[in-house]
Amino acid sequence: MDSLFDHSTAQKLHGIIPETELNSWESEELLDCLAELSPGQQDLLLQQISVIWPVSHSLCLAFLEAIRPALACLDAEQFAAWVRGILDRYEAQGLQEARRFMVDLDNHFVCTLKGQSGLMLSDIKTRLHLYLRGVAGRPFDLESGDLPGTDTATIFLPRNSTLFSNDATNFLAYKLLASLQWALVRVNLYCHEITDEDALFARLGYPAPDKPASGIFLTRFFQTFARPKLAMAIYHFLQTFRALSFLQKRLPGLMADSRAYFQKIRPQLLADMEDKKLLVKEYTFVLDQLCDNQPLELPAGAFRKNCNPASWWQDISQILVDAAHIHDQWKDGSAEDIATPPLFQGSFLIEEAHARRLARRKKAEQQFIEALSIRIMPSVAKNQDHAQESLGSEQPQQPDSGANISLRLASQQDGQEEKEPVHDRVIRHIRLDDQKIDLDSRLQELGREIMDDLGNLPQLYLDSAAEMAAGRSYEPNFNTPEQEGAALKGASLYDEWDFRRQGFRHNWCHLLEKEIQPSGGTFIATALSEHRGVIKQLKRQFEQMRSHHRFVGRQRDGDDIDLDALIEAVADHKAGLPPSERLFVRQLRDQRDIAALFLVDMSSSTEGWVGKAIKESLLVMAEAMESLGDRYAIYGFSGMRRTRSEVFRVKEMEEPYNDTVQGRIAALSPKDYTRMGPPIRHFTKLLSQVEARVRLLIILTDGKPEDYDDYKGEYAIEDTRHALIEAKNAGIHPFCITIDHQAQDYISHLFGEVNYLFIDDVKGLPRRMPDMYRVLTS
Amino acid sequence: MISGQRIEEHIISREPYYRQQGQELTIALAAYQHQIPLLLKGPTGSGKSRFMQYLAWKLRRPLITVSCHDDLSTSDLVGRYLIRGGETVWLDGPLTLAVRHGGICYLDEIVEARKDTTVVIHPLADDRRELPIEKKGEILSAPPEFMLALSYNPGYQSVVKDLKPSTRQRFVALELSYPSPEIEAEIVQHEAAITREEAERLVRLAEMTRGLEDAGLQEGASTRLLIHAGILMGSGIEPRQACKVTISETLSDDHELVAAIDEMISSLY
Ligand SMILES: Nc1ncnc2c1ncn2[C@@H]1O[C@H](COP(=O)(O)OP(=O)(O)O)[C@@H](O)[C@H]1O
Ligand SMILES: [Mg+2]
Repeated sequence: MDSLFDHSTAQKLHGIIPETELNSWESEELLDCLAELSPGQQDLLLQQISVIWPVSHSLCLAFLEAIRPALACLDAEQFAAWVRGILDRYEAQGLQEARRFMVDLDNHFVCTLKGQSGLMLSDIKTRLHLYLRGVAGRPFDLESGDLPGTDTATIFLPRNSTLFSNDATNFLAYKLLASLQWALVRVNLYCHEITDEDALFARLGYPAPDKPASGIFLTRFFQTFARPKLAMAIYHFLQTFRALSFLQKRLPGLMADSRAYFQKIRPQLLADMEDKKLLVKEYTFVLDQLCDNQPLELPAGAFRKNCNPASWWQDISQILVDAAHIHDQWKDGSAEDIATPPLFQGSFLIEEAHARRLARRKKAEQQFIEALSIRIMPSVAKNQDHAQESLGSEQPQQPDSGANISLRLASQQDGQEEKEPVHDRVIRHIRLDDQKIDLDSRLQELGREIMDDLGNLPQLYLDSAAEMAAGRSYEPNFNTPEQEGAALKGASLYDEWDFRRQGFRHNWCHLLEKEIQPSGGTFIATALSEHRGVIKQLKRQFEQMRSHHRFVGRQRDGDDIDLDALIEAVADHKAGLPPSERLFVRQLRDQRDIAALFLVDMSSSTEGWVGKAIKESLLVMAEAMESLGDRYAIYGFSGMRRTRSEVFRVKEMEEPYNDTVQGRIAALSPKDYTRMGPPIRHFTKLLSQVEARVRLLIILTDGKPEDYDDYKGEYAIEDTRHALIEAKNAGIHPFCITIDHQAQDYISHLFGEVNYLFIDDVKGLPRRMPDMYRVLTS
Repeated sequence: MISGQRIEEHIISREPYYRQQGQELTIALAAYQHQIPLLLKGPTGSGKSRFMQYLAWKLRRPLITVSCHDDLSTSDLVGRYLIRGGETVWLDGPLTLAVRHGGICYLDEIVEARKDTTVVIHPLADDRRELPIEKKGEILSAPPEFMLALSYNPGYQSVVKDLKPSTRQRFVALELSYPSPEIEAEIVQHEAAITREEAERLVRLAEMTRGLEDAGLQEGASTRLLIHAGILMGSGIEPRQACKVTISETLSDDHELVAAIDEMISSLY
């Protein structure tokens, strides 16, 4: 072996991984492995190591071990995909899962390449997510799990589907599983609306359990039975039956298509249940109906005798009572085994759902109340004005009383027949005294979420919103203002809007413009290749939007005569009017003359997927912009406290797009906080000096404006909002893109005065940002 | 080329089918009575044009609709001289025609027209209510029966084509967004001549697609698209096919979005 070569490779390797981190045996092994590769491949591998090492040392060491077998069966491109797969697993599921993925190369990766693992959830997640969002009317997360299931916010689905030999039918299986889990949420599988437990137990004739037995109603409930497992199985069966019937009505096409699925799983399912006794007949009966897509009927015997499906929608406790009666009828039989439920029924995640519910309820409640209060505020204010006018001036003012406003759900009072079951109702209006107020889609969605959770929309929420709207009192939480002024060296000073005093704090923030050191690495190459399809398509689209030449008529001089204008002039002349002199057609360049500035959030919260997606989007955007020819600049921002707002220069307006710019994009990394006011004001100033017909300020953030100090909550939102309005008044078009898991209530207030876009699926950003730009500027 | 339009051609003699969404008729009638111009906002296919037809019929006034576009010139709106048999003849444009005869002039998709074209409507929209015809050195005063109405779609967020606040503030603005499901089903049932059940299913599909507006779809399926789908189904085209060609393919070119909408369709039919 060439010692010189060996030496330099070893140096490179130890430049990435300090020598002390590897024992000599590991180093040797690794160098041997590298030695077998071509220099190009060596570099590639070293690059990949340099990517993984900083992410996690343990992951990298595990990776080094797995390299040899991987290189033996993967070509360069596959190898790169494999590394991406490892990082994906690591980010999403942790080291353990990433290890398993690496070690089990055959199962997890090679067979995927060969198509033996059927259809992967990861490959169809986007489509399924979109489908489910439309069908459910609210977003659900999709994640992989061993069995299907849901905690009411996330739907778990198997990692892959191998049931069928083609993707289309495997997708159908996914679609069915996902829809059924959604339907189970809709039929309230986790009984999130039992309010009067004592009444329920009284109805059953059971003694109510000791409260401390469990904090979760369903757990408590099942513990009272002689055979809790049996009771649970019966209940789960009933709810699945109900969810399937619901789907038959709601999604008839899906259920017709799904015959193929049910027929396919039938033999195996029957075989699995062979040695069991309880519920076997019932599952078989339901499955047979599904195989023929017959409207579902309850199985004969105990079920038909004890169940009152007609009243299930009105009263969720009825289904518990029915399940209890079946249990009571069966419990004294021999200790027969209960049938293993079919896979599509999924697991019963009582605890997970409960945890979700508590977390979400609090959040939804706050969001709903706040959003609703903002929605009704104008009307409330008007009503109060009226009230005060009619009261006259001798009456003391009572700004804080929400009590004299009545806020009600509209539907009951409108006298509409309730045709659909309770759960299908969407709250579209609310009644404020005698005024009907429409709820926007965000409020409707929140309302729906609360209804899914609680089964109704508590009047308490409405009252709270009314109160909040009537007396939104702001408590100043600032201490005495610090000394204003005093600039840092080289810093620009900006005012900040204080909504409580409805005025500016002058020269309050210090902003510094900083350089970014371009970084090498594989980010750019990987991202470019990953998005090459999108980039190609965008380039073509953007090409067509380019400034183009066109003919304009009615010019004083030009290349040709404008016949229409000439005829008109002759006619005018004949009519005794001075004829127009604008008789020519001229070819004009249709100048787009647009200048755009992209301002991206570099706060610490963008760490991980969001930051990666932002960088990839900038790259895709820049590539597309190159074929369009609009002038554009890119900056990042972050900072901490009012004395240190920072903006990072990635590309200036007139700077050409090149490797350096790409390197700076790659080098963008999460920093500190999100004080949005100063950078917006800074770039408003900068953009005002740019000569262009249209000036765009496009801001990408991942959430609320927030800083380390008191720049939070309402204060931060109001300042940012004000800064955006200032930009707008300066003739700049601000556009905000917010990447967040869930649309937050503050968004519409914050960005309401300007255009904005909300994105909940970060992976879609590289595609949607250019799309947005296209719509915005054409 | 251009033949003179006769005002009689614009009179709507049969009652158009229009299903009210809310208070829009009352408000429009009040605006008309007080000579305030009307601004209709709403996504495409939400019934704006149909509403204008209905309003015109209700008021027994002729309705003159102009679909605005890039190349629309002031002469196209106001009118021009033509030569006929050696003589010059003045020909009223649609706007002038409406003003002269006390009709309703409806400028559809106003933001599509260039700003220098739309300035002529300013003196018509405010208290003056007059239309200067420069070529003829004439200033037409609009009679009380005349009404100006504009429509635009706030969903397209193009900043290049936004409406100026100074223009907007002269109008009474009516928002015609998608109707509630019951009303929408009623409209689709009537217009496509299909059963109530079929119409309801189409409306459900529309709601699903509208749920994608936060996820990348520019606009969900409009009432108009549902009617198209219903009509195709009524003429014997298989429902999935009918929805695909009228809805999923028309809403987006994005592969994933189209595929997701197709999945919604096939889950319903
Ligand atoms: N409220 C309504 N009443 C009756 N028909 C309606 C209504 N809304 C929509 N439509 C139907 O939808 C079609 C499209 O509406 P249209 O008025 O052309 O939409 P827009 O002008 O808003 O784009 C109409 O032809 C009509 O069939
Ligand atoms: Mg129209």
